[in-house]
Amino acid sequence: MTSHIPTVARKEFEDAGRSKLLWALITLLVGIVVIGYTAIWYTADDATASEVLGFLGFPLQTIVPIAALIAGYMAVVGERRSGSIKLLLGLPPNRTDVVFGKLLGRMAVVGTAVVLAFLVALVLGAAFFGSVPVADWLAFAAITLLFGVTFAGLAVGVSAGTSTRGKSMALVVGLYMIFVALWELLTAGPYYLLYDEGPPVEAETWYLVLEQFNPMSAYTTLSSNAIEGEVFPFTFQYGLEDFEASQMTPAERYAGDAPFYLEDWFGVIVLLFWLVIPVAIGYYRFTKTDL
Amino acid sequence: MTAIETTGLTKTYGELTAVDDLDLTIEDGEVFGFLGPNGAGKSTTINMLLDFARPTAGSATVLGYDAQNEADEISPRVGVLPEGFDIYPRLSGRRHIEFAIETKDAANDPDAILERVGLSADDAVRPAGDYSKGMRQRLATGMALIGDPDLLIMDEPSSGLDPHGIREMQELVRSEAERGTTVFFSSHILEHVEAVCDRVGVLNEGTLVAVDTIDGLRESIGGGATMELTLATAADGHLETARGVTGITDVAASGHTLECSIVDPAAKATLVTALDGAGATIQDMQIDDVSLESLFTTLTNGETDADGQSTDDAGTPVAATTEGDR
Repeated sequence: MTSHIPTVARKEFEDAGRSKLLWALITLLVGIVVIGYTAIWYTADDATASEVLGFLGFPLQTIVPIAALIAGYMAVVGERRSGSIKLLLGLPPNRTDVVFGKLLGRMAVVGTAVVLAFLVALVLGAAFFGSVPVADWLAFAAITLLFGVTFAGLAVGVSAGTSTRGKSMALVVGLYMIFVALWELLTAGPYYLLYDEGPPVEAETWYLVLEQFNPMSAYTTLSSNAIEGEVFPFTFQYGLEDFEASQMTPAERYAGDAPFYLEDWFGVIVLLFWLVIPVAIGYYRFTKTDL
Repeated sequence: MTAIETTGLTKTYGELTAVDDLDLTIEDGEVFGFLGPNGAGKSTTINMLLDFARPTAGSATVLGYDAQNEADEISPRVGVLPEGFDIYPRLSGRRHIEFAIETKDAANDPDAILERVGLSADDAVRPAGDYSKGMRQRLATGMALIGDPDLLIMDEPSSGLDPHGIREMQELVRSEAERGTTVFFSSHILEHVEAVCDRVGVLNEGTLVAVDTIDGLRESIGGGATMELTLATAADGHLETARGVTGITDVAASGHTLECSIVDPAAKATLVTALDGAGATIQDMQIDDVSLESLFTTLTNGETDADGQSTDDAGTPVAATTEGDR
């Protein structure tokens, strides 16, 4: 059987292209770039384009996942509730085509927004600060693109695995809250209970592995390697963990040579993990369910 | 060859049995009307044929393929008009048709399809979100016709259509049937079915209560007509005359009135001639055909209650108002 994934993805992208959603996302991302660059250009005299690029990391780590989650959380469940999925599944595309077509379509939507934002950053960097840091720019854009499609995939996975819009939204919001606001409580909290102290810089390996698996810090760690300066993770701090420690990457905190899964590049795997696992679970649940 | 065959097909939702041990065979090339009140389990059955829902027990084949395990073989060969569907509000009507053509790898001309289902060129370029219920139904019908399917499965195709649209839908079903397409469609309104169907199946509370031609059904419930004759003299004296006419099953007399139950339509004229020959003077005559509606009511026990409502609850407002019980 021929696959209908590309056909569904194309329709999906075309459909999204007519929605205000895509344009709101693009406006948001491009807007942040324009405002940020203009503000720095006004205030700082001797900034280089490459340094300013690093500034983007901070707003992008909050906006990109939110935008991607919004773009994705209704993908499958929205059609299920409206009934258009019956029209779609009445045609040759099957459930696999629907999930993966939608996944590709929504990832393309988020990817388009990220790429446009970075193109604007490149142009403004050249115009305001007189240089084109191609290598940094490319690496940072690629990491952000991966970050964006990861969250789009996570949301599409959730949307495939749930039966109502409300559940999908609750799950997506809940996951985002865990990543940003509750991670320390959920990891350093048990650590505290186990060892009677918050995780020190050189914490137990299991804890460092958990730290490694937060997609937010995976993004900032990877980004910090790609650009000049450092992108600090924007996550809630409860003081369970030493502040100094919280600003370090798991590889830096490991005594001696870090195993590969604690190295910085492993963040790519972490992001892929958060893309693949939710999609796999959502896909499995969707293929089993009654519509 | 059989177009659709279900064997012990059953679907339960918790306590509720939506479809109960359904055995149904639809032959290749026939037009089959699947009748039943709202909530009878029609949509649940169709959803299982289309692999939208999985049977609790039993199985179904469509065009010889297993509805669950070989669904990918089925979908390119059938045209589907689902119940409770929606269109993509931002995409134009034409894009919907083009999408269906792409997925079916068909050679249809989108404009010809749109014209066939009665959507104008102006309508075709508008976003389908602007369409009325009836236009959405036409659009989805157009999508179902793409690729010249061997089998059309339509769930409440007349919902949302005005009387004119319903006639057009019946025309369409007829012309598809003439091409050799098997048509399986559901309705809760008998009149929409009787005009085009070779056979009907009546579903009530998840159980198939009758499968026959419309005429066959009428006979099987002792249908036909009642004839009431008012005579100039006491009717008692003509009881035997009436009883002697073939095609009359029951005769009762009260005063001047003679009431006869008739199974053979030709018996009516014979009765009049016979009475006349026996010297009776007929002053008035009234014939009550067993209406299809009352036939339907008889089969479904007059109940159109809400049992199994969840299976049909996406039913259309039109359907609901016509039914008059929700």
